[in-house]
Amino acid sequence: MTANPPTSVRPDRPKFRDLLARPDIRARWEKVRKYFFLRESTYDMTNRCNIRCDGCYYYEGDKPFAAENLSVPDWRKLMRAEKARGITYVVLAGAEPSLVPQLLEVCYAEMPLGCIATNGFKKIPEPVGYKIHISVWGNDETSEKTRGAKHLLQKQIENYRNDPRAVFVYTFTRENIEEAQGVAAQLVAAGCKMTFNVFSSPVGYAGSLRHDADTLLKTREMMLALLNRYPRQVLFSAYNAVAHTSDRGLHDLYGCSYPRRNPSQDIGLGRSFRQYRTDLNWDRSAACCVPDTDCADCRHYAAGSAVVTARLYRHVGDEDAFKSWLDYVDTYLAVWVMGYEKGENLCNKIIHPPRAAAG
Amino acid sequence: MPVNIELKAIHRRVAEIIIDELKLEDVTPDTFNPEMDLVDELGIDSMDLATIALVLQDEYKIVIDEDDYPRLKTVRLICEYIEDKIATRH
Repeated sequence: MTANPPTSVRPDRPKFRDLLARPDIRARWEKVRKYFFLRESTYDMTNRCNIRCDGCYYYEGDKPFAAENLSVPDWRKLMRAEKARGITYVVLAGAEPSLVPQLLEVCYAEMPLGCIATNGFKKIPEPVGYKIHISVWGNDETSEKTRGAKHLLQKQIENYRNDPRAVFVYTFTRENIEEAQGVAAQLVAAGCKMTFNVFSSPVGYAGSLRHDADTLLKTREMMLALLNRYPRQVLFSAYNAVAHTSDRGLHDLYGCSYPRRNPSQDIGLGRSFRQYRTDLNWDRSAACCVPDTDCADCRHYAAGSAVVTARLYRHVGDEDAFKSWLDYVDTYLAVWVMGYEKGENLCNKIIHPPRAAAG
Repeated sequence: MPVNIELKAIHRRVAEIIIDELKLEDVTPDTFNPEMDLVDELGIDSMDLATIALVLQDEYKIVIDEDDYPRLKTVRLICEYIEDKIATRH
């Protein structure tokens, strides 16, 4: 038997206007909604990298076989065309964007809001005023083992100490949970901001970094401990920890809205998002923020930034859920947008992701 | 709300809500074209539409499922959707 969908609101469900009646919630809502205009697409800049990491997304699938287009005029033309079709935010990634600074500069000149995902080994010139996400996979010993790079954390800190563009993104694998404490202490001592990512296996990945239920739980506990210890330097919230360490992946929890999993082209990411490869072509069937991730295992911070944020509707069923969603969006903006300062989290309780029907 | 609520009144109120939520200038509820495509012509995105849907839920005491958002492309379509929901509720 199929239940009829609800047509009128639950009597115990607060009105949206009542949720907004509290001054702290209203203030945070007004703060984050100014950024609803952000519309992202992502761009592989080069198929070269100066290190090689176990479980790297870029070198899975056929992305690395696309030819490089290093023409500055072609990139300028692309950015102008992107702006014309409504894109307001660019994510520059794959394989290692710092190797093509001339392309970063032209992108920044045309599209001033964006972010660069880098391993941090080579410093990106300061005039490129994007947020810079520096990937950290553990301490120097672990980095040498899994990424083949010596003194990587030390080098990353040297390059980006006190740089307002920089956010260090610590990716929790099943093997580096405990050492996050030491890495966080190092980063905080150097005046660096950090946030967290959860290793999400590429399609077909058979290595040792894939999480299981036990390591996800330990990861959550570590995230919360570090958030409590360093609330100003760790850009995160309790709800971020819940959303990214559930035994269910982001697609299962929220329904991924990237074109790869979302056939609708009516509105939102399904309508506007593209993932360009280094030859400046894109393929709708493969377009998502971290292509070649196994969707069932996806807990990637970049995915959540769009997928959780887009589910406003599901989080208005009660005050704690709405506050948790606001914390998540506040975190997302602080991590991704230059000049946006994170506020104090509104909800420190563990709130489980609401189901689809919030009526 | 009476079952036979006038469509014109819904049109006006929906337009008011959109103007208010999106802080639109140069348009009033009386001049808002009910056939204007909110996505293609006005350029609203999913978060704006979600916000408008939540305010409309409050206003008309109905549920607007998130799967229905793509259907709400014009003021006219929103009004028809609201009418259907109100009729179903009664």
